[in-house]
Amino acid sequence: MANVGVVREDMRAARILLRASWRAALQYRTSFVTVILGGIALQGTQLLFIGVLLAKFGQIGGWRINDIAFVFAVRLAAHACYVVPAGAILQSDFLIQQGEMDRYLLRPAGIYLQVITSRAPLMALGDALLGFGAVAIFAPRAQIHWSMWTVLYLLIAIVGGGLVETAIQTFICAFSFVLTSTSSMQILADDTVTRFSGYPLTIFGRWGLLTLTFGFPMAFIAYLPVTVLVGRAHDSVIPFWLAAISPLAGPILFILAFAVFNRMIRRYSSPGS
Amino acid sequence: MSLALPTPYRRIRGFFRAGHRSVFAYRGNLLLGMLGMVVQVVLTIVVWRVVYSGHGAVAGISKTTAVAYAILAASFQTIVMPWQFSSIPTRIRRGQIGVDMVRPASLIAQSLAQAVGTMVGRLPIGVAGILTGLAMQGLRPPAGTVAGIAWVASTAAGVANVLLINLAVSMVAFWTLDISGPMIVYRFGSAFLSGALIPLWFMPSWLRPVLDWLPFSAQMYDPLAIWFGTIHGTGIASTLAIQVGWLVMLWLLVAVIWRRATYRVVVLGG
Repeated sequence: MANVGVVREDMRAARILLRASWRAALQYRTSFVTVILGGIALQGTQLLFIGVLLAKFGQIGGWRINDIAFVFAVRLAAHACYVVPAGAILQSDFLIQQGEMDRYLLRPAGIYLQVITSRAPLMALGDALLGFGAVAIFAPRAQIHWSMWTVLYLLIAIVGGGLVETAIQTFICAFSFVLTSTSSMQILADDTVTRFSGYPLTIFGRWGLLTLTFGFPMAFIAYLPVTVLVGRAHDSVIPFWLAAISPLAGPILFILAFAVFNRMIRRYSSPGS
Repeated sequence: MSLALPTPYRRIRGFFRAGHRSVFAYRGNLLLGMLGMVVQVVLTIVVWRVVYSGHGAVAGISKTTAVAYAILAASFQTIVMPWQFSSIPTRIRRGQIGVDMVRPASLIAQSLAQAVGTMVGRLPIGVAGILTGLAMQGLRPPAGTVAGIAWVASTAAGVANVLLINLAVSMVAFWTLDISGPMIVYRFGSAFLSGALIPLWFMPSWLRPVLDWLPFSAQMYDPLAIWFGTIHGTGIASTLAIQVGWLVMLWLLVAVIWRRATYRVVVLGG
């Protein structure tokens, strides 16, 4: 029963913190619009890149235009599921360097919750518009027999993909408690996912795919679930059963990353101390 | 005996130092940035080689040229188009701008010196990309001696173009405090339109004339097209002339924005 009380308190704190950060962000109307446009530009250029490439070359690694566009769309939607609720996690360096984290430690709310609600990631609304818009456009064109189950699988895969990205950034964030500056690592992870997770990852070869599945788990974000949907899960070295349950990687990885985060907090020493 | 710089340069030397020292101060970050560059170049080479498999020349461009272009573009982009491309928005936000505007060196000179310093600080990251390209046998030398010399001039004009547009965009902060939106739209828009992400050879035919009328191709595509010899002969002279023409126009634009911006500054307590 005590746990239920803690969860209820955390939910209440989350509501208050979210309301405060969104109200702060919405004070500047012009900024609100331009930042959303920024989000669309950030991810939209990747979509334009792949669009120009496919218009010239027709296919990549044996995948047709529509199927690759669908992998990109799923990646974008999954990215939105990460940045809308948790995009502020990229602020962790700033929060530690400016001494904000010290205040969080004293407040009666979870540290992780306070980090991800420290700033309303307005740009994420642009990501969400673009991501779900792209899924709506490219899903009917992909080689998939749509049914209630495939739609449900897709939705779970998108949320799972978002959790994989959240887990990767949470894991890196955990190290900011001891390293103080992790922005290069954050950018490296973010850039790699943004630029390359929308491709059929078999193009990176057997070892490349294995590394991007078990080392840096980018394959779980969009590629593996989409191989199941378009019937290409047998094309790679990853067993079919693993591809089929790939949407579950998100929650599992997130729980692990969250545990690491909570463990690393104990090693935090304030930069001002 | 120390070399004495002329006074105008001495005034901004400190800002240049601040620029590259702010990069070198976080060594771990710099090393990870270099590692990131290596990963990015390796994956980019693989993507382009796979894209070209089964194709001969596309839009008149061979696989080796496309791969080499991608390596050089990624390496130069990381040096000349950093995330934090001007110190002006931070100075305005912190209220430091009032003091900076009465310094002996103009704010524009201070800001440009700091931006050049940041680029110098990021050189090791770009070099890591080029070395990775060499190790993977993806690079190609310039098309000839003339192309090599013209590339140096064109790159210098391209860097000056980037610095001036960055400055113009960052001065929007005089009107609206938070410029993260316009900065990101510009950063990614220019990355696409300048040919940093994808060579302009592959752009749809309807888009090419539009791109020719914009200043962005002078930042990345023009120098690299000269390097690979797709712009050659008299084309080199006209490209360099257009790049210089853009620099003059951008300088005038920055001067106009700066003139208007100075009337916007209200220093609290002053």
